[in-house]
Amino acid sequence: MNSLLRLALVAALPLLSQCTSTARKASSTAPTIATSKPAKAAKKTAAPATKAEPMDDLDEYAVVEINDPLEKLNRGTFWLNDKLYLVIFRPLSKGYETITPKRLRKGIYNAFENVKFPVRLVNSLLQGKVKGAGLQTEKFLVDTVAGLGGMIRVSNKIESLSSLPDEDTGKTFARWGMGHGAYIVLPFLGPCSVRDSVGLAGDYALNPVNWGYFWGGEHDWTMIPPYANTLRALPGQLGTYDDAKRDAIDPYISIRAAYVQFREEAVKK
Amino acid sequence: MTRRSLIALVALASVPAFAATSLEQAQKRLHAAIDEVLAIADKATSREALVERIGPVLDKHISFPVMTRRAIGPGWRTFNQDQQKQAITLFSKLIIRSYSNKFTIGEHPEIKYQSAAQPDVGRVEVTTTTVYQGNRYAVVYRLEEAEAWRTCDVVIEGVSMVANYRSQLDPVFKRGGAAAVLSSLEQSAARPQ
Repeated sequence: MNSLLRLALVAALPLLSQCTSTARKASSTAPTIATSKPAKAAKKTAAPATKAEPMDDLDEYAVVEINDPLEKLNRGTFWLNDKLYLVIFRPLSKGYETITPKRLRKGIYNAFENVKFPVRLVNSLLQGKVKGAGLQTEKFLVDTVAGLGGMIRVSNKIESLSSLPDEDTGKTFARWGMGHGAYIVLPFLGPCSVRDSVGLAGDYALNPVNWGYFWGGEHDWTMIPPYANTLRALPGQLGTYDDAKRDAIDPYISIRAAYVQFREEAVKK
Repeated sequence: MTRRSLIALVALASVPAFAATSLEQAQKRLHAAIDEVLAIADKATSREALVERIGPVLDKHISFPVMTRRAIGPGWRTFNQDQQKQAITLFSKLIIRSYSNKFTIGEHPEIKYQSAAQPDVGRVEVTTTTVYQGNRYAVVYRLEEAEAWRTCDVVIEGVSMVANYRSQLDPVFKRGGAAAVLSSLEQSAARPQ
């Protein structure tokens, strides 16, 4: 698996550099990835409009765009994922919700989030957020010690720690100036971009729940933490997916646009 | 001091006061709208009942015509009056259902009002933190003043409702114009939940 991961990284790197340069080129002329901010507000700081047509409130919002050269393949994977969610993951999630009381579920969810501390710490530092890294450490210590190993988010009651932004490797790449690259729908995992998929590999390596698998040899127990980590996140993730899909006109575009906007916002924090 | 310069001075001095009043009015209106919606959501026993009761309240506080127009974008100009009416009706239905679906019966969200800003005259953005089912979400309400302050967009964790629909409807319009947009809105609104 280690070698597989390395292979995937090596394979993705040329794609990333190519897409990054494309994104940079595009951003030097016009923003390709529109934010959720109304276009009019953005125009105040951007270069003057070259369109001959006068602006009115019909131009208020730009179409949220991302380079999607693999759209046909992505739509296929999206369809496949949808079926996988229906047949495998939703029953698993329902089963988990049925056998685990809500409060315990929340506690387990919080504990796994707390354990992700190295992901947040390393990426805060890589982004030069020294104060942020300190606060992340404080949050981890408070929740671990006073919150029963992170099951209770005691830090939510402390103002300076309650709304610390999440940090991840994809976000770090974005802060370093890398563009999304191509949009990819990953099997099982869903919406992503080339940049964020490489970031995902970084997050995977930094997350202690996967360390046993990396360094624990061939023992079966090493698979338990990663599987448990997937299971605890399922109800929330499927809920978000359902929300984005339910009232969509084109679920594929709805989720793609939501992904781009969500990541753009995350990078700003 | 001449009379003209005195008027100019008074007008200038009243600008911040006017802005403050707008901010206050918009925030007050949003508070009232959210309180009204939450009161209904708390009493609802089923999703169907929630959708039915929440509709008229949202109609009062959300500017559906503005949202529809912006979600469709420049293509709106090619819609005739009947098509525009139909689009607004269908889009409202979709938004009301989408908004109602965000509530889980029996769960009460906690709204913390963080800040308010006036990016332009007649526009106010109110930032809130919503704690719901143990998770925190940054929710921004964009309000505009027409006859009264009304919400024109809701942005959850950076995801704008209007921008999202705009991205979906744009290719539909480019493919088949107003008729295609209306047909896709009809299909989505008729989709069983």
